Amino acid sequence: MSDIPFTGRAGPEASEQGAVAIFERHRAELRASRRVWNILGLAAFAICVALSINISGFFPERLATGVPRIAEYFATIMPDLSWDVLFAGRTEDGRAVAGSITYWYTDFWTYIELLWETILMAMTASLIGSAVAFVLSFPAAANLAPNGWVYWFSRRFLELCRGIPEILLALIFVFMIGIGPLAGVIAIAIHTAGALGKLFAEVNENASERPVEGITAVGGSWPAKMLYGVVPQVAPNFFSYAILRFEINVRASSIIGFVGAGGIGQELNRVISFYSDDRVAAVLILVVLMVTVIDLISENIRHRFIGKENF
Amino acid sequence: MLKLERLTRRFGDNTAVAAATLEIPDGQMVGIIGRSGAGKSTLLRLLNRLIDPSDGHILFGDKDIAQLKGRELRRWRSDCAMIFQQFNLVGRLDVITNVLTGRLYELPAWRAMGQIFTPRERAFAIEALDRLGMAHTALQKAETLSGGQQQRVAIARALAQEPKILLADEPIASLDPMNAKIVMDALRSINQQDGITVICNLHTLDTARNYCDRIIGMQGGRIVFDGTPDLLTTDMAREIYGAEADEAFNEAATSTTLPPRKSPANEGAVHV
Amino acid sequence: MSIAAIADLDEAQVAQVRAAHPGVFSTPWGTVKRWAPLSIAVIYVLVSMWYFEFGRLFDASDRVWALLRNFVVWRDMDTWAYRQIYVGISQTLAMAFLGTLLGTLGSLFIGFLAAKNVMPIRIVRQIVRRFLDILRGIDQLVWGLVFVRAVGLGPLAGVLAIFVSDLGTLSKLYSEAIENIDRKQVEGIRSTGAGPLAVIRYGYLPQVLPVFISQSLYFWESNTRSATILGIVGAGGIGMIIIERFRASLYDQVAFVVLNILVLIFAIDWLSKRIRLWAVGEKAH
Repeated sequence: MSDIPFTGRAGPEASEQGAVAIFERHRAELRASRRVWNILGLAAFAICVALSINISGFFPERLATGVPRIAEYFATIMPDLSWDVLFAGRTEDGRAVAGSITYWYTDFWTYIELLWETILMAMTASLIGSAVAFVLSFPAAANLAPNGWVYWFSRRFLELCRGIPEILLALIFVFMIGIGPLAGVIAIAIHTAGALGKLFAEVNENASERPVEGITAVGGSWPAKMLYGVVPQVAPNFFSYAILRFEINVRASSIIGFVGAGGIGQELNRVISFYSDDRVAAVLILVVLMVTVIDLISENIRHRFIGKENF
Repeated sequence: MLKLERLTRRFGDNTAVAAATLEIPDGQMVGIIGRSGAGKSTLLRLLNRLIDPSDGHILFGDKDIAQLKGRELRRWRSDCAMIFQQFNLVGRLDVITNVLTGRLYELPAWRAMGQIFTPRERAFAIEALDRLGMAHTALQKAETLSGGQQQRVAIARALAQEPKILLADEPIASLDPMNAKIVMDALRSINQQDGITVICNLHTLDTARNYCDRIIGMQGGRIVFDGTPDLLTTDMAREIYGAEADEAFNEAATSTTLPPRKSPANEGAVHV
Repeated sequence: MSIAAIADLDEAQVAQVRAAHPGVFSTPWGTVKRWAPLSIAVIYVLVSMWYFEFGRLFDASDRVWALLRNFVVWRDMDTWAYRQIYVGISQTLAMAFLGTLLGTLGSLFIGFLAAKNVMPIRIVRQIVRRFLDILRGIDQLVWGLVFVRAVGLGPLAGVLAIFVSDLGTLSKLYSEAIENIDRKQVEGIRSTGAGPLAVIRYGYLPQVLPVFISQSLYFWESNTRSATILGIVGAGGIGMIIIERFRASLYDQVAFVVLNILVLIFAIDWLSKRIRLWAVGEKAH
């Protein structure tokens, strides 16, 4: 870009006109070159939108018939509760009264047991996944990796762990080791390692190099450089991301049962696919409550960690 | 005895250090002066291999430092301590742990990873801090200290290494005159009391004059002056800094010396 | 007192230093406190590994080998139903794209409703936020199931499932971004006498648009991945095909499909990075 010449000699109007004209010309040039890219981009975008609508059948007629059915569906899964027997307990022969909450939640303790298993699955998977992610996040950081090969392999490994959808991994493990929570834990742990590993590595890349140089200068080994130079800087961030991941993993654990990998998912699949009655709402409400409570607790812990120092 | 033989470092087309040849006997205090980009920092970092040489040898005793690798290299770095312009401490760790990192080379891996230090090591670290007048800050986080305090902690860390050589890369460039004096006094007394060779990069002439036994001037990667402070004339200095003849080159403009106070008790002075 | 070498330090001196600086030395209780969190975590993991029967991983070794072998040895490649596979993949891409687009548009609107500095009426904000919590609490897959019941099998259910679950999360992220803006810029625009729409256009949008675009692109990539499994519940896409092949023990075809998907996800990842650079660079004006 050429400099805007300073013509201080001419009178104020003349120099203004000169400067403004040059600015306008530059502006027009810039806009013209950008305009071509913008138009191309917009055209590509419009084509994608049109194709997607076509392929997915997102047509107004289908929506018009479909949306009322959504409301109908919600009506079917809502429970039939009557005020007068809402809190009635069981009768003498152990049967629940129709219209009461007890009747609605007949399988309450089954659900609780499964929810507990779901939470445990999420915790174990998060801990194992975080540990793996922590260890790999250092060779996967461009500024910290001891050499190029280690960096490349760590990154690709993490991408692989993250790229395969959890449910697919769970399917594979269910095939390999049978139905049950173990398959779910491993699948979620692997995905956690990949997702957290990438995040951790990015945090590491933004860390200051000065403390690391200090540890190099005293004769520290590579692990010592990471532990003393990098970890104190990144630890609060790591914890925050890990706890956030736990929140997400609780959600994942709650549906991994769809393929038989444990937790409340199997029950949820069963009630939605086979029964389609008020039990759907029963399970869904419990799941939403569990997720909301865990979200609140984790938000609390995360806020405390931002201030707190560790190490 | 530290010997540099035709030590060279190139970055692409640029020669940062050109065929530097020096002999530094043990226990000397050397100051390297020159303008920014003259190669002072590169030369210093070549000595503890933070930068690798393109050519030449660095001999300490009978070892060629330029060829060291792995554990041997780490041992050399442990023997050759360095303090930096930006201190390079670990901000979130407390002062005592920062000083203890000076002993990392000596520790077995499990103790280093677990941050497990013996009482002796801790006592030694406190002693080092005490020499610099910083023992009272031992449990504070390093980032809560001022610049001058952090540099003193960095020197304590260097002492904890039990080094044979102490390299100081522009140690006072970020400090105010009072703290600069404290730090330079500390370096001087370490040099005199412990017999440790001290090599510092300085960008102020009178600091070099006041503290160093020997001054080395660098310009454009070459060593252009090597001698005692009294041999350094103003003309020589002007040449090193490349000042134009008709520019008013006033040494006092680059000074960090405070005029001495009349009162007997010198505030902030550390008796090391 | 200057000690140059640690070897010179004798017991009496160590004791002296200890007396003067007790906090520097480790105490039994201090050591316990330091190692407790890590130890508890390790013990928990070990116990839960026992509880979840991790040992079964080793029993499964021959099945693992069979599976791995089938993943890499591809048989009868010309009999594979390629058309079906690629229709499924294009459905997956379409679902992810449209679902994310609708989710973004909806969240733009709702995000402002849930932001403290734009919606001063507390009740409205709370209701919106609870509503979003419910949307978020129910997983995308479950929404898929629900919409399949409502609008039938096929990608339409998938689009709606992605739309609704994205609405829940993106709205929250957007509203947080709006709340985190620098008020001074908005005040500056307002002080020139600009109307509310102009204030939004020049005061809010330049600050929040980078975050919006960045988050939406990230979700596009994430949704492409989750769209592949929505097919499992019949909501369109390649998921159903994967399950069928898997259950029919045609693992080589499963591997083929998964590889295709991985390639696509990497491509979308790359594309979203480029778009982010282009858009955020642009919007800086």
